[in-house]
Amino acid sequence: MSLSRRMRRGLPSFLSTALVALVLVVLFGPVLLLALFSFNDSTVISLPWEGFTTKWYSAALDDSGATTSISNSVVVATIVMVVSLVLGTLAAWGLTRLTFRGRPLLAGIHGAVLVVPWLIIGVAGLIFFSQIQFALSLQTITLMHVVVTFPLVVAIVSAGLIRFNRSLEEAAIDMGASQLQMMRYVVLPQIAPSLAAAAIFAFAWSFNNFEISFFTGGFEQTFPVWVFGVLRNSSNLPIVNAASTVIALGQVMLVFGLWYGMKLMNRRRGGTDADAAKMLTGGVR
Amino acid sequence: MAASAQTAAPMPVVAGERPGPLKRLLRPLAFMSLPTAVLTMLFLLPMGILAYYSFQFGDLTGQSGFTITNFTDILSDPLYRDVAFTTFQIATIAMIAQLVVGLPIAYILAYRAGRFELPLLLALVLADELNPMVRIYAWRMLLGREGLINETLMSIGLIKVPIDALLFNEFSVIVVLSTSYLTYTVIPIYASMKAVDSGLFDAARDMGAGWFTTFRRVLLPLIAPGIFIALLLVYVPLFTDFAAPTLVGGTSGFMLGNVVSDLVLETGNLNAGAAMSFLMLIAAAGFSLVAYRLSRIKQGA
Repeated sequence: MSLSRRMRRGLPSFLSTALVALVLVVLFGPVLLLALFSFNDSTVISLPWEGFTTKWYSAALDDSGATTSISNSVVVATIVMVVSLVLGTLAAWGLTRLTFRGRPLLAGIHGAVLVVPWLIIGVAGLIFFSQIQFALSLQTITLMHVVVTFPLVVAIVSAGLIRFNRSLEEAAIDMGASQLQMMRYVVLPQIAPSLAAAAIFAFAWSFNNFEISFFTGGFEQTFPVWVFGVLRNSSNLPIVNAASTVIALGQVMLVFGLWYGMKLMNRRRGGTDADAAKMLTGGVR
Repeated sequence: MAASAQTAAPMPVVAGERPGPLKRLLRPLAFMSLPTAVLTMLFLLPMGILAYYSFQFGDLTGQSGFTITNFTDILSDPLYRDVAFTTFQIATIAMIAQLVVGLPIAYILAYRAGRFELPLLLALVLADELNPMVRIYAWRMLLGREGLINETLMSIGLIKVPIDALLFNEFSVIVVLSTSYLTYTVIPIYASMKAVDSGLFDAARDMGAGWFTTFRRVLLPLIAPGIFIALLLVYVPLFTDFAAPTLVGGTSGFMLGNVVSDLVLETGNLNAGAAMSFLMLIAAAGFSLVAYRLSRIKQGA
């Protein structure tokens, strides 16, 4: 009896380890190989290994398409992050803490933006800007990124606002704090981890966005649009490997940085790491 | 109490400050006017113009006006019907593949992973944050005719000629899409599993239920909302994706997203492109609404 039960438990645990390992290999293996082959001294991306080189990195640095598109993406994503944080936090407060007519409708529209496919928003943006005769550029990309990204901030920050106890705010007001003091000393420390998560996700959403940038960018390219263009017109290129490796490394560092930052903030507030994980995954949902 | 909040009667009065009628009007305005303006200008208005364009025709002679031919052309064209079917096929297979892998992964994360739970969760988030275009490129590098899989198999003598079936077809699109959205499939299901009291499993087992009965009769009804949310988050983007089919799909992996992109950017027929987008939007909205409703119903039960 006990043996069979142990076997029943033992077998799945072996299977589950195997399954998790397989999924991790499938998710990260290709990107790791891509990074590995950015150091291969050969113009074709294949075995055999021809020797270690960093020449593809200097080649990527000399490629104006690569450097311009990466710097475009960084600039756009930074602006989108800041603007989305402001708009999203305003709306999150309004939608969770105030009562007014039309609130359910407004909340619904914020949510609708998150489920409309980016392809369709991109096409709509393209037609809209051509209708009002506004030239497509990085500006139009930024505008459209903001409108799809700030509702994500609303979702993350609202979740943070709902999670913590409102009576703290009322207590602060009772004790004579002004609205501004209450916001600064009571609300802000509570939602700081949510804000940090929202900031990183907003940056990533803008940085990774392909569809909207593709349709509303005109002749200006962000990083995903540049990669798309290169791959569509030619076969695989080692400089794309090099540029992609740099980007992937930056994103890995960003996610880990966020994770440690949130753990730290959360521990200081007396929360557990699981709470921090909940906030982190909040950006995915 | 909640009902009176709408009328002139004040909310439960907190000693000290009691917001006057003017403040109660101005405060929502202060917080909501900017976000609402942005949504109106850059979301509602463009969507309205998209809908308007889809009912317009315009030709080179400068004539234009109202028409529904954009829609009838699309709906009667057998080519579009084929593409729609391919799209449906690819999106559905990719979705099923992700559920088949995602359900056990979510289960392991929620109940079995122990101290590995958070690192694995972090890995999933990281997988999602990696640039999608980089991921597509990585797969293309692996699956191509001169890709790493073919080269490796040939160098160890397992095959003589490269396998062409790996890239530029429906299979490669499904592989790329399934790996792209796995995070969004796992996390909602994982979250709904976390909310289930695992003592229920012991109870079910003590009453003699096997693992399958436990899964079907106990766990599945409780995590159904999470599954519907995963469907909502993943199926619609799968349906409208066009980067993956363009880069790894070849001719047989041509999807509806490619049709829209070609109509708008290659042929420059904005009206037809708008009509196609509008149809896809309606399909997406219908699907989202059903999935959302289902997730709510189950939660109430």
